[in-house]
Amino acid sequence: MRFVLRRLGFFVVTLWAAVTLNFLIPRLMPGNAALAMMSRYKGRIQPQAMHALEIAFGIHTHQSLPAAYFTYLGNIARGHFGISLTFFPDAVSHQVLQALPWTLGLVGLTTVIAFLLGTLIGLVAAWRRGGFLDGALPPIFVITSAFPYFWLALLAIWFFSIKLGWVPESGGYDVTTTIGWSWTFIGDVLRHSILPAFTILITSIGGWILTMRNNTISVLAEDYVRMARAKGLKPWRIMWTYAGRNAILPNLAGFAMSLGFVVSGAILVEFVFNYPGVGWMFLQSVENQDYALMQALFLLLTVAVLVAILVADGATALLDPRTRDSS
Amino acid sequence: MTEPLLRTVGLTRHFRVGKLLSRQSLHAVDDVDLTIGKGEIVALVGESGSGKSTIARLLARVYKPTKGEIYFEGRPLSRLRSRKRRLAYSSDVPMVFQDPYSSINPAYRVVHGIARALRLHRGGLGRKGRRGEVERVLDAVGLVPAAAAARKFPYELSGGQRQRVGFAQALAFRPKLIIADEPVSMLDVSIRIGILNLMSELREREGVSFLYITHDVASARYIADRVLVMYAGHLVEEGPTEDVLQRPKHPYTQLLLSAVPDPRAELGVSDKTDVGEAPKVVDPKEGCRFQPRCPYAIARCETETPVLRELGTRRLVACHVAEADPQDLLDGNDAGNEQSVAGRVGRR
Amino acid sequence: MTATVEPTTATSGPDPPLAEARRGFGADLWRAVARNRKALAGLVLLVFFLVLAVFPGQIAPHDPQAESYLPGLGPSSHHWFGTTAYGQDVLSQLIWGTRQSVVIAFAVGGLATVLAVLIGVSAAYLGGVADGLLSLLTDVLLVIPIFPLIIVIAAYEKNSGLFTLVIVLGALGWSYGARQLRSQTLSLRTRDFLESARVRGERKLYVIVFEILPTMTSLIVATFLGGALYAVLAAAGLQFIGLGDPSSQSWGTMLYWAENNEALGANMVLWAIMPGICVAGLGAAFALLNYAFDEISNPALRMRRLDRTIRGSSKGDRVDVSVDPERILEVRGLTVAYASDEGPVVAVERVDFDVNRGEFLGIVGESGCGKSTLLYAITRLLGPPFAGEIMEGQIVFQGRDMVALTERQLRHIRWREFSVVMQSAMNALNPVLTIAAQMRDVCKTHSNMTAKEIEERSKEVLRLVSIDPIHLHSYPHQLSGGMRQRAMIAMALLFTPDLIVMDEPTSALDVVGQRSLMVQIKELQKRLGFAVVFVTHDMSLVSHFSDRLLVMYAAHVAEFGKTRQLFDQPRHPYTRALLEAFPSIRGPRVHLLGIPGSPPDLARPPAGCRFSPRCPHVMARCRSAQPPLFDVDGDLVRCILYEKGAAPDATLATASEGAV
Repeated sequence: MRFVLRRLGFFVVTLWAAVTLNFLIPRLMPGNAALAMMSRYKGRIQPQAMHALEIAFGIHTHQSLPAAYFTYLGNIARGHFGISLTFFPDAVSHQVLQALPWTLGLVGLTTVIAFLLGTLIGLVAAWRRGGFLDGALPPIFVITSAFPYFWLALLAIWFFSIKLGWVPESGGYDVTTTIGWSWTFIGDVLRHSILPAFTILITSIGGWILTMRNNTISVLAEDYVRMARAKGLKPWRIMWTYAGRNAILPNLAGFAMSLGFVVSGAILVEFVFNYPGVGWMFLQSVENQDYALMQALFLLLTVAVLVAILVADGATALLDPRTRDSS
Repeated sequence: MTEPLLRTVGLTRHFRVGKLLSRQSLHAVDDVDLTIGKGEIVALVGESGSGKSTIARLLARVYKPTKGEIYFEGRPLSRLRSRKRRLAYSSDVPMVFQDPYSSINPAYRVVHGIARALRLHRGGLGRKGRRGEVERVLDAVGLVPAAAAARKFPYELSGGQRQRVGFAQALAFRPKLIIADEPVSMLDVSIRIGILNLMSELREREGVSFLYITHDVASARYIADRVLVMYAGHLVEEGPTEDVLQRPKHPYTQLLLSAVPDPRAELGVSDKTDVGEAPKVVDPKEGCRFQPRCPYAIARCETETPVLRELGTRRLVACHVAEADPQDLLDGNDAGNEQSVAGRVGRR
Repeated sequence: MTATVEPTTATSGPDPPLAEARRGFGADLWRAVARNRKALAGLVLLVFFLVLAVFPGQIAPHDPQAESYLPGLGPSSHHWFGTTAYGQDVLSQLIWGTRQSVVIAFAVGGLATVLAVLIGVSAAYLGGVADGLLSLLTDVLLVIPIFPLIIVIAAYEKNSGLFTLVIVLGALGWSYGARQLRSQTLSLRTRDFLESARVRGERKLYVIVFEILPTMTSLIVATFLGGALYAVLAAAGLQFIGLGDPSSQSWGTMLYWAENNEALGANMVLWAIMPGICVAGLGAAFALLNYAFDEISNPALRMRRLDRTIRGSSKGDRVDVSVDPERILEVRGLTVAYASDEGPVVAVERVDFDVNRGEFLGIVGESGCGKSTLLYAITRLLGPPFAGEIMEGQIVFQGRDMVALTERQLRHIRWREFSVVMQSAMNALNPVLTIAAQMRDVCKTHSNMTAKEIEERSKEVLRLVSIDPIHLHSYPHQLSGGMRQRAMIAMALLFTPDLIVMDEPTSALDVVGQRSLMVQIKELQKRLGFAVVFVTHDMSLVSHFSDRLLVMYAAHVAEFGKTRQLFDQPRHPYTRALLEAFPSIRGPRVHLLGIPGSPPDLARPPAGCRFSPRCPHVMARCRSAQPPLFDVDGDLVRCILYEKGAAPDATLATASEGAV
């Protein structure tokens, strides 16, 4: 119970830090970017859009900094992120909600698959120490882990779409199909997601494989694994409940820690593929100087990482009785 | 009685455990009075968790006492304000650690620890003097040739050699009292005696006193003049080594002695096996801490904490039940005169 | 790395020996790097890019910015990688672009490392509130997605230059390293050498800088390499989406222009591919070095291959299998070796012994004498960290040669016929399963017991070792040390096997606990009739419990005989010396000598008798030939004093009587 409370406390603190960063960054930049921006737009855009900017920056004409901060916090708490300039006069929150399912489907699912698959491969590679997997994988994935996501995406488009013409080169679906729960549409979405998913998978799986392999190798030297062998347990049982279950614990912690890295890669992949998700929208908002949208999306990304970390924490607590007791 | 080298009065150390809401205090050391004479080897015996290592760290000023005072040559340690005075104390009372594999920094050669000690505490030596002194102390602990030993890395040394380096570091201070915290327990049997003999020799040659902390009663008997027995943070018995070992009075000392494996003794497997363990003393109530395991416990033991009382010549026992045996009162002097193997230097 | 170590005290320069100490450590590191193929590959790549970064003017064939050629040329001898849409030479742009990536990598890596060290180490060392706050800061920063944050910052500060990029990346990228350095420091904090430095009277700053940091070299290097890799990728990404300075010469900017001109579609493929390869190449250099460092600092990750040339011929051969039903275990000529960095090490050499039904056999030896390897060889449990291999010999258990059995065949006799009790139950029990679950999985594997029967049996064996069955559903960490140890013994009794092999099961306990556990083991043995092979370093511990004793010294059997006789009349000089090394709590206090020297390193065993360098009775012959085992009244002794015709008993006996 205390464990849950502590993690929730951490969640709140981190969220607060992200919100505060959002508030502070435009002010701390040289020349107070927020004010500069406001004056630049004054008179050029509609009052409603002006108001959107005010909300985004928390600037209410003549408010003091702390007062502005609290107004800002209040707006965020009520889900008022302002109005998007790009999709004027649509509310930012509405735009974000439209992009979210695409990213959850593509990046979320692919990341989870990459983690599970990578963990599995790492476990098996370590279990068959000196075998083919164990010999070939580490050097390959050490090198792929250094590949820029977006570059691999470019290559994939060039080869599979332009050269071979197997899959569409960009977008989340064909604009000619009607959006809805029809098989044609779902099939189309899947066809569009193969390439970006593949790119994310290839570049992110290596890390999980390597850490899981190394963890498992350390765990295999533990006395309790030897004990399990002495007990004559079946090999798969030793691999799962003795080696695997203990080796995955540090990997789960690592999952939480390197999620930020995965998110950054995913943003670039969406950008390259023009995939209509959060990352693409985020870069669009930067391009169009749509600050309200940009800040909301940044918060969303932070929340996404936090939620994933809470899930990883929960899994850790589920798998390791010591975390439950120690708090 | 003249002022001993080191004396503690009501030495107490508690540790806070648990989280903010359930703050508890772990009583590692409670109300300990002990003395160490000049040139004396005193053994502090107890199980792990009895608080003996905490005492070592209190005396070495790694921890601050929660209550109580340590007097060194009559001066209270809490009055050592300046860094210079504190350094002087730490050079008088260095410490040798239990685990020879973790007590030397693996990144440096053997010479590092000794040279740092000399630099800090005997700054007047100069570079040449330091080198000579490094070789002298390495030589004194039997690491020869000293010049070659100084240049080795810890991983090139065996456990016994590392422990000798530990003593060499301590010697570099020109100490008056060395606190040796289980210095042989992690060493191979065949080299333990070598280290114990080294301690006796150092006492003879350099006149150093030792507080020898151990769980091994037999090795305590081998080198110590006096033995102190600890249980769960309390000193429960103390006296001249032979007296305590031949006629233990506290039930815990008796249990401890009966458990010591002795190949030379007849096989005597007792039926009443004690499966209890030394407790972690968290927020203790009044009463004897050994009482739950004690075969002789009476009602009073549950309600009143026994204090050390004199039972026989120089014998102190903290037990409501233990009694002085008449023989001890009559010819206690006899036992008191018995000397340890190398114990000829220090007499109070 | 170590060159930065400089004493802060205001005295003259460093002591010559101190200076030497630092050099030696660096040299070791270098040697380890040179041995590792991944490290070498990484180093070569890094040096390649460093050269490009330092001398672009000398290497590049053309002016990278000059738009003086035809646009979109394919590869040719004049333009190896073709030209851009603006008619610039791609190769020259690549070479000139190296500098920025390298600068960013080193600057960000360096900045992040310094911050990580400062924050991580001081958090751990200071503890308390400072630690709480710094750790929270670290954790928060770790969670906030840095790359988007940088994009947000860059959005306000368009076309940010190199300097801004470095500062922002470095200032945000330290958290991962700080977290690791903190936990490493925490684990070091209780190490005695730090306590030793504090007792010595060193200042806090000295302890942090000169005692803690040098021991964490590999982690600090890893932090730097990780930071550098992350910086190269992040900078390229930012420039690619146009948030860098579009006029700068860098790989990321090249990719930005290539993408904007649709280079891939417009057949200027190399323009888009080559910068990516360069980013990946530089990144791979850091990643390879990082991975190699991990391997170097964690030897378990390295695979060593055992040199097979020392293998004997008799392994697995069918020899006369013992038919004596009373003899449940018979070990013949057992040799075990394992691979080390210094070549094969023979940890057990031609060991013979046997165990009778219901017997208690003690195996005694000091650390590194091969007793644990022997134990794991006879139970066929060799594997890391005792990664030895049986080279020769038979292990006949209940009529089967264990060496010839396959893993699958072995599984059927494990735990039913023999079980194992390990040194530390804390490590030997699976920390994530309850005691009940760990008993259940063995019962399910070897029997058809129902869940209820398993529960009943588990409770029954717990009662046998005087543990209250309410602890059955506890996790190992919830039990006390003594209880864990007993629980493990209980587990070994589940099927009442014929043999239980025990590896120092009491050494983690206090004297009192040790004694009571020994008594209990002996009682159980009497009641249930299993045989025990008990490995220990403490000879006196088994003196009252074992029927026979096997004394090992440096991979060999030194002496093997009846326990009582061995204690009363030890024959091998080593056994004798070992017995005399124990002070006693009874009898007169005598001066003991111990054994001079220390046990030999098995990678370089001494010639002749292995005890000869420490033996008080050593003769010239001892140093030339290994003595065989001599049978002296049924007691086996490996010492030429007992060669036929020699009568050493008298001389040795008088010597020992004087001492005991």
